[in-house]
Amino acid sequence: MSASASDDQADVERVLAGEISAYEGIVRRWQGPLINLAYRFCHDRGRAEDMAQEAFLRAYRALSQWRKDAVFSTWLFALATNLYRSELRRIPARTVSVSLEDITEPVDTRASDGGLEDRDRDLAVRRAVLALPAKYREALILFYFHDMDVTTAAQSLGLPEGTVKARLFRGREILRGKLPLLMVVPRLKEA
Amino acid sequence: MKRSIGQDEKEIDRILAGEEEILPSSGFAVYVMDAVRREAAAPPPIAFPWKRALPGLVVGAFAVALVLVAVVVAIARAIGASATAQFSVSFPSVLTPTFGFQHSLETAASWTVLALVVTFVSVKLSMRLTSGRA
Repeated sequence: MSASASDDQADVERVLAGEISAYEGIVRRWQGPLINLAYRFCHDRGRAEDMAQEAFLRAYRALSQWRKDAVFSTWLFALATNLYRSELRRIPARTVSVSLEDITEPVDTRASDGGLEDRDRDLAVRRAVLALPAKYREALILFYFHDMDVTTAAQSLGLPEGTVKARLFRGREILRGKLPLLMVVPRLKEA
Repeated sequence: MKRSIGQDEKEIDRILAGEEEILPSSGFAVYVMDAVRREAAAPPPIAFPWKRALPGLVVGAFAVALVLVAVVVAIARAIGASATAQFSVSFPSVLTPTFGFQHSLETAASWTVLALVVTFVSVKLSMRLTSGRA
């Protein structure tokens, strides 16, 4: 068991024994990953922190339901992912309202000849991920968030690995189809 | 120049895996812990008063069952009546509307009485259950 996993287990046991302040250890250890995961879902810093805070609260309420057969972080990520998915379905991220079809042809030829900044192009690709149908978007977000580890992504999503692989394949296929356009025109029509 | 699928895959991987990390706000953990403490200090939610609600639920279920039985009986009677009417074409037609009107009046009256009884019982019951709680 890694240091972090044993720390988590010890903190959970203390919290369940009534020592609420022990939960702070869990929050401090996982605040970065949970906020960053939320940020990948919504690309809005303020909302990401709100969603992460709600995830920590829900984890606190459900702490006694954590069965120790899974690592605490796996359970926490699955809980947070579930929350983020339903939050995003309830109120979609602003950038999600931009459809893949809304990526426009270049208006200014100088932009496509000279190419825009790499950063802008990367942003366009990330926005294109947010514009994918939810099941492909979620698989891609979790896959890249977990350093391209399908097993962990599947655990967070609560899906079989095969399903996640299929969704990744299809999601990447859609993105690849749009990639030449994204490479040339890294601008999205504002809704 | 045409790009290969492998190149595009690598490009997607590079862009999506290299997404920048954001740092939590300085007071984030404190805010979360405040929320957790508030949550812990809040009284537990009041459990649904099954004991008190049970008589009402039983009466409600009985009333629903009664209505269903009445509907089934009414349908059965209506089917029976229409079957009889097919064999009684010799009756003077002028009498039929009067009979039909009277029959529907009786049915409406019995339904109204039933509704009033159910309403009276449920109001009385709920008043009795809530008395002494204020």
